[in-house]
Amino acid sequence: MVGERRVSRTAVLGTVAAILGGILCVRLWFLQVLDAPGLEERVREVRTRTVKLTPERGRIFDLEGRIVADNERVLTVTIDRQVVARPLARQQMWNRLSGALGLSLEQLEERYKSKRYDQLQPAPLREDIDESLAVFLRERSEDYPGVDVREHWRREYPYAPVASHVVGFLGAIRESELEYYRNLGYDPDARVGQFGVEQTYESVLRGTPGYVKYEVDSRGRILRQLERREPIPGNDVQLSIDLDMQQFTEQALQTEIRARRRTEAPTVLAFGEPDPRYPEAVFYKAPAGSSVVMNHETGEVLAMASYPNFDNRWFNAGISSEKFQQLFPRTDDPDLSILVNRAISGRYNLGSTFKPFVAFAALNTGQLPGGTSYLLLDEGTYKLQSIPEERCQLNVKCIFKNANCGNGAPCKYGRVNVVDSLAVSSDVFFYKIGEQIFTERGNRPVLEEQVRLFGFGSPTEIDLPYEFTGTIPSRLLKERLAESGAIAREEGEGYYVGDNVQFAIGQGLLSATPLQLAVAYGTLANGGKVVRPRVVRAIWTPGTPDGKSGAVDLRAGTILRDFTAPQVIRDIGLREDVRDPIVRGLTRVINGPGKRYDFYHATTGEKLFRSYPKATLPIAGKTGTAQGAGNLPWNDSSAFAAFSKDPAKPYTASTFIEKAGFGSRAAAPVVKCVFTALAGKIRVGKALPSDPLDVNSFEVAQPQYLPNPLCLVGTGSSVRD
Amino acid sequence: MAGILSTRRPDSGLGNIKRGITAPTRSIDWVLMTAVGLLNTIGVFIVYSATRPRLISRGSDPFSFAQRQVAFIIVALVAMVVVMWLDYVQLHGNANLLYAGTLFLLVLVLVTGAVIGGARLSFDLGPISVQPSEISKVTTLLLLAGYLARGDTEEVSYEMFIRSLFIVGVPVVLIAVEPDLGSASVVVAMAMGVLLVAGARARYIILITTLSVSSVVAGVVSGVVRDYQLQRITGFLNQNSDSASLQQLITQVRFAKRAVATGGFFGKGYLDGPLTNGRFIPVQSTDFVFSAVGEQFGMVGCGIVLSLFAVVLWRIFRIARLAQDRLGTLVCTGVFTMILWQAFQNIGMTMGITPVSGVPLPFVSYGGSHTVAFAMMIGLAQSVHMRRFR
Repeated sequence: MVGERRVSRTAVLGTVAAILGGILCVRLWFLQVLDAPGLEERVREVRTRTVKLTPERGRIFDLEGRIVADNERVLTVTIDRQVVARPLARQQMWNRLSGALGLSLEQLEERYKSKRYDQLQPAPLREDIDESLAVFLRERSEDYPGVDVREHWRREYPYAPVASHVVGFLGAIRESELEYYRNLGYDPDARVGQFGVEQTYESVLRGTPGYVKYEVDSRGRILRQLERREPIPGNDVQLSIDLDMQQFTEQALQTEIRARRRTEAPTVLAFGEPDPRYPEAVFYKAPAGSSVVMNHETGEVLAMASYPNFDNRWFNAGISSEKFQQLFPRTDDPDLSILVNRAISGRYNLGSTFKPFVAFAALNTGQLPGGTSYLLLDEGTYKLQSIPEERCQLNVKCIFKNANCGNGAPCKYGRVNVVDSLAVSSDVFFYKIGEQIFTERGNRPVLEEQVRLFGFGSPTEIDLPYEFTGTIPSRLLKERLAESGAIAREEGEGYYVGDNVQFAIGQGLLSATPLQLAVAYGTLANGGKVVRPRVVRAIWTPGTPDGKSGAVDLRAGTILRDFTAPQVIRDIGLREDVRDPIVRGLTRVINGPGKRYDFYHATTGEKLFRSYPKATLPIAGKTGTAQGAGNLPWNDSSAFAAFSKDPAKPYTASTFIEKAGFGSRAAAPVVKCVFTALAGKIRVGKALPSDPLDVNSFEVAQPQYLPNPLCLVGTGSSVRD
Repeated sequence: MAGILSTRRPDSGLGNIKRGITAPTRSIDWVLMTAVGLLNTIGVFIVYSATRPRLISRGSDPFSFAQRQVAFIIVALVAMVVVMWLDYVQLHGNANLLYAGTLFLLVLVLVTGAVIGGARLSFDLGPISVQPSEISKVTTLLLLAGYLARGDTEEVSYEMFIRSLFIVGVPVVLIAVEPDLGSASVVVAMAMGVLLVAGARARYIILITTLSVSSVVAGVVSGVVRDYQLQRITGFLNQNSDSASLQQLITQVRFAKRAVATGGFFGKGYLDGPLTNGRFIPVQSTDFVFSAVGEQFGMVGCGIVLSLFAVVLWRIFRIARLAQDRLGTLVCTGVFTMILWQAFQNIGMTMGITPVSGVPLPFVSYGGSHTVAFAMMIGLAQSVHMRRFR
């Protein structure tokens, strides 16, 4: 018999059961009704995996279609991180992969753990495997779950180091740019253009990534493909650079720089004797230089060389960061910096190469009474007229001298007009302009306004990154420099006559890049049009077909955007009566004659250009020597700019070599070589694809020499020009 | 219906009734039988859907687990019929022997059992493995119920309570050190249910609860309870934790919950559950079998499974009340408690309201030992039902 108490006790049990059952039902309702929305989406996310398909980056080729930046298909073995998340599974996988990939277990583990790679994407284990290994791994996907072979592209620079500053390189996205690139849809581990055309035309070259969407299981193994969008390759970019001319210019620049390093600077004299405070024999340091050759009608840059240069293949050579530090050391010494395109980033005094623009300012504003016929007696010194005598005695520098004529005394050129003074580079003539254009016009910045017309002090807007704007001496600039501590505070207090006098001979706080110099000379050459310089000639639709070896077939491609039409930034209204005396003066710099006063003073370029084929390609140019620290001879930097007077070959070239001596000694020979080549009087070697990069080398770039350096040879001026 | 009746032959006496009213075979609880049978059938289909993706990916026969489960059910059916056929009173006469045998097996498994995941739960007998803890649930119940029923009083004396504790305590400790805390808790729950109905005082129930809780704590402190057992509890208490050591545990419960939740009302359809097919839920054919039900059949499917359990429990509860003697009531109470607690634990952990304990869902989950053990329990209940008119 069932007792009453037993019944009531079983009822307790029944109640417990009912409660537990109720809990389950309530929970079920919670899960399926209240929690379910939203979870569906989450489940879809974990079930799908999207693999990005990298587009082939656009190629870069030169004027004639020679490919300077190419892509090589690289096969990379990757492993799905989820599949080997557990240490045991990973160990087993490494054991199986180690032999096939030729990597040790430790190397594999290190690759897997490395934070260099996107943790959400499969980990790359080994790059650059053979096609046969790829086939092997793909066929045995059962044995190697989660292992995948991915195709991507590696940037190749077949002609490196030629034009490496212009072409640039790819690099990892910097921390500060991460947000910017992320918004553009880049992966954090993507490589983007970090220099040169690779950087400025990143958006053009990149292309549009595609993707494949897979349905995956819990181990990340692919169940089926859901969606696939093919990537669209990037557009090709054609440079205005002519690779042969580029190589020639680089060779000329480097050969000259090396020659200058073996040259002694003039001895510092004190009272006609060697100054005992300084060593007698100092070799020029000539650490760096740059050269620009451009078409002054269209703005297209034909060649742009900068030294020290580098091999842009280092950036994807897979070298260690220590090795990279050795090759590209971090340095505060501007002489040594490598990753600087000095043609557009160098901040240089222009020295006398600036004089034509001062002459322009004087002629254009009527500062010279009678213009060309205005004569000045140059007795070697100029005394400021606007400063009272007593102040000159006290603390103001009032006497400005010409450069020494060898015997310790300043050169005297006698009665000179504007043409003569450009030809022999008379400082006195320009000191006077510098003073009077300031004092006679109410201390207004007339000279600044006039030279700004040529683009000094503003960017040339070339399509390359890191362009230096340049500085023009002014009250504002002095204040700013004093604030930043670049000059003493009391020096920054005001803008005086002395500043303008220095300005008039291209010294002092004036700074510009060699490209700005070329653009300004080009403006004189083309009759007053400031053109925007460009290194890119056209953008082509993706996949320009290959032509003969190492080049694309330009006739078979399609141009998407053409930049050949000149972009005139401004027309300065250059009058012929202003231009003519300047051009005549600059022509005499090359051709002579000089000025006879006491004895014959040759023009600054006359002797050097004696061997130049003037009849074939007439040119006009100007030398310049930028004074360096302590005004010591071995700190002189050498500048030269010249333009062709032949409308059929509308080229302007400029060169600047740091700490290499007078303008006619270092920079001018390079420009001379360039024009000799443009005249067709010297053979320009064909640029050839370079040897593979030796990753064990410690040279940042293979040195280049001019095969025939004869064009560099000639006698420079004996006077600081 | 009338047609069927009219075609019945007139000389067949009392229709198909050939035995006396008290014949045990006349009193089989067919409702219970049907409910258990349905759960087992559902189990086979769910086991198939939950093991298919893994078997396919291995290149094995996708039906192999389902086929084995069918074989287990057949064995279980035989075991059940044997238990039904044997009188539970007679069975309890041999309870001492059976109990001793199971204890021996429990000790043996600790020494020679196959190590899986750091635990020795089963004997590896080639194609099958046997978990003595499952069998011990039945034999412990028999011994305990028999002992408590002996006095035929409605009271449990202090001495009886202590002896009962001993009867239950030995296998519980042996199971707990395997370690299989889930199964141990099932035996404890059974003891509590049986003691309650046998007339134990409330303070005895409180004492046994305190004892089990404190022994678990002692186990944790002494290190007998392994880390992963502890993690199951910490993981349960911190279901949104970011802790790396708990990640695997938490994600498996998270995916199980998601599977149930995204099933919706009607489910994704049989063999169409994305999380099931994607093998996102580990041990889905045993521990997390309910998630496969939820994803594929939704609230309707879960409701059916829960209802079938309700029917099973109701029938056993009913048998406990109808039982002809105190022993029958106590046996049924034990069966009732074990099914209730184990099902609650299993379904609860799938839905994230109980810690992950690794106990299978009775009748549904893949596995031989528990299928057979629970079939034997049903057999016991049936045996009580069949002999209630004695």
